Amino acid sequence: VTRWAEVPGDARPARLPEEAVDGLVPAAVVRPASVALVQECVRAVAARAGSLVASGLGAHLAIGARPRRLDVLLRLDRLDRVLDHQASDMTITVEAGCPLPALAGTLAAAGQWLPLDPPRPEATTVGGLLAANLSGPLRASQGSARDYLIGIRTVAADGAVVAGGGRVVKNVAGYDLPKLHVGALGTVGVIVEATFKVRPGPADEEAVVISCPTIAAAARAARAVLDGDAPPFWLEIGAAADLAAGPGDGVAVAVGLAGRAEEIAFGRERVLAAAAALGLDAVAVEGGAALRTRLAGFAAEPAAAVLRLATLPADVGRVMEAVEAAGAHLRCLASAANGVVRVAVPEAGAAVALVRALRPEAEARGGSLVVERAVPAVKAELDVWGDPGAGLPLMRRLKAAFDPGGLFAPGRFVGGI
Amino acid sequence: MVCTSRMQRIEAVDIDNRRIVVQAGIVNQWVTNAVRAHGLCYAPDPSSQPACSIGGNVAENSGGPHTLKYGVTTNHVLGLELALPSGELVTLGGAVEDRVGYDLVGLTVGSEGTFGVVTKAVLRLVRTPEAYRTLLAVFESVDGASEAVSGIIAAGIVPAALEMMDRLIMQAVEAAFHVGLPTDAGAVLLVELDGLAVGLDAEADRVRAVCATHGAREVRTARDDAERAALWKCRKRAFGAVGRLAPNYCTQDGVVPRSRVPDIVRRIAAVAERHRLRIANVFHAGDGNIHPILLYDERDPDEVRRVLEAGREILEACVALGGSLTGEHGIGVEKSAQMPLLFGPEDLRAMALLRAVFDPEGRANPHKVFPDAKVCVETRAPRRQVPL
Repeated sequence: VTRWAEVPGDARPARLPEEAVDGLVPAAVVRPASVALVQECVRAVAARAGSLVASGLGAHLAIGARPRRLDVLLRLDRLDRVLDHQASDMTITVEAGCPLPALAGTLAAAGQWLPLDPPRPEATTVGGLLAANLSGPLRASQGSARDYLIGIRTVAADGAVVAGGGRVVKNVAGYDLPKLHVGALGTVGVIVEATFKVRPGPADEEAVVISCPTIAAAARAARAVLDGDAPPFWLEIGAAADLAAGPGDGVAVAVGLAGRAEEIAFGRERVLAAAAALGLDAVAVEGGAALRTRLAGFAAEPAAAVLRLATLPADVGRVMEAVEAAGAHLRCLASAANGVVRVAVPEAGAAVALVRALRPEAEARGGSLVVERAVPAVKAELDVWGDPGAGLPLMRRLKAAFDPGGLFAPGRFVGGI
Repeated sequence: MVCTSRMQRIEAVDIDNRRIVVQAGIVNQWVTNAVRAHGLCYAPDPSSQPACSIGGNVAENSGGPHTLKYGVTTNHVLGLELALPSGELVTLGGAVEDRVGYDLVGLTVGSEGTFGVVTKAVLRLVRTPEAYRTLLAVFESVDGASEAVSGIIAAGIVPAALEMMDRLIMQAVEAAFHVGLPTDAGAVLLVELDGLAVGLDAEADRVRAVCATHGAREVRTARDDAERAALWKCRKRAFGAVGRLAPNYCTQDGVVPRSRVPDIVRRIAAVAERHRLRIANVFHAGDGNIHPILLYDERDPDEVRRVLEAGREILEACVALGGSLTGEHGIGVEKSAQMPLLFGPEDLRAMALLRAVFDPEGRANPHKVFPDAKVCVETRAPRRQVPL
């Protein structure tokens, strides 16, 4: 422990259980208060041939494979400033440890927002949002982190600050380095600053919930909404009880609507008509944003494991049926427009069995099954990522180029990277 | 030189999932043509879309007028097939949206051919909007028009497109196409709103109000598809019409924060005056992506020298205003020496590391993008525009 107590950034022992990563307890936790200190910290860990995991508020540390080793947990939550909001350019630059509510508050004062809705936003920092590529229901119409990130600053394995992109909304000068770090789980550098393009916030939100007797009926209803005249703001299929459609074992489709009153009224009327045409009951619910936020939380809810199956949008119903066939007590939530099906599995043994049962077909169809979050007992039994495809050799070379000493979370990413 | 123009096949169309798989040499416009009957389109629409290829779009991360709302090429590419300089063919990403691992597709898009040769792309298709409102706002001055651009953005309106043309370019376009542009005006804004028909008229009224506030003397509205098409023809064929103004021209591509459009337009005017050049402006004002067109005669060596100098000064002004050297045309050879204006040695070193992952020997499109100590490139003539 003494070796690591010398690392700059107010080194202290880890607080448990929240500062352990997949059961691994770091020898020290540091909380540097400046980018310069992050650089010193990275250099100090590198000089001791150690490894580190970057973290913000710790809400998403259960994502990824168990690191092979962990000496220092590098917490960035002291780098929490909004640096520059250019409201008239609709861009904002923030430090990596900036919590999403602070970012949202600054933007809201100008009627703007960053339309990304990860689980547990109150405990999510910008760095975590990017590193874990978090998203929620809004992705159906608004895209994901990679679509909004226009500039980044990182601390590289040698301690240098490396910038990519810029602060303008359209820019093709040099390589798109920001995209290197989105979803990379901090394995190729420590994100210390990000610039986003943002959008005008919606005037209002609402939701329509369609009750369905079966998954197949729900998939048909979701398809009808997608192909209808009013493009949904978001579109989720799940258990009726989860989607505010009342009690019971049924399935429901929740359709998000947004805009000014007349736009919402038009969308509501079209969705209700689409449901009626299929002989399904549907009801408009107020507080569309609240329902959306609750659904976003599904990915991080307490469970032995939350699995994420990626498929084509038209195959969502088939995947949900396969999950249902595999276990009666599983809960499922699908982002129907993006082809993402999440499954919450209450028990570790069942999670391992389910991954083994469903992953081969998911991958054979060009998709994936990732164990998005899980307790250590699940991670010990299987590869959380599965096959990353033909790009794996390039990914290994990329990791070797940017982190030759295995400093950044070794083993946490795909293929043991 | 490897030319992909014979690789033009559409390999798969998936209407349900809104995907299309195309070979790299297919012309951008043909992609939309293939799916238009299903109410779908491929959103990125560079002005050269009847002539440019998807492979080229991927290499440059091309934009276009409608990228203001819909995003650029990288937002619409889900998968790539890439021939690495080693000769190996790799498939990156695919039709399924969520990929596992690093975003190799996102890194390859916009890499200007320096990672290898893109041979195939899986593209996302989007719904054709239900309705459009296309407005032409006429201003006495470029200043007024660019202030209106900032005003529209500040009002929280995201038009599908927000384009500006100045008097010089209008005169050329009018001479070529006779569409009734106000050639005595200082500048016009072409504003397109799209989406659901409901609410669109209210939004168009808000745009008209902002334009009026900033001194628009008139705001015309396209009454039907034919009028809308005529307005877009002016904009997209503007470059072709420039031939009426001068024997040669050089189009620059720079970016400023969108609130700084008025500043860069004034600086361009000052550069033109200082170098005794005519510079026409037609550009994507909504996202601050400027395209000053520098007119010259290549038989006049002094004018050629002044055009090159003026182009460099305009890009330096973009960077000084917090912008970038290029919004959609790329760095290539011409701007590689200016990369240190934007990026420090550590940033450039990281880009070199990334390049070496794909192309360790630097054989794919060598000597592009980065300042190269071993090769001293002196640009003697502006980049020629390919005639459409």
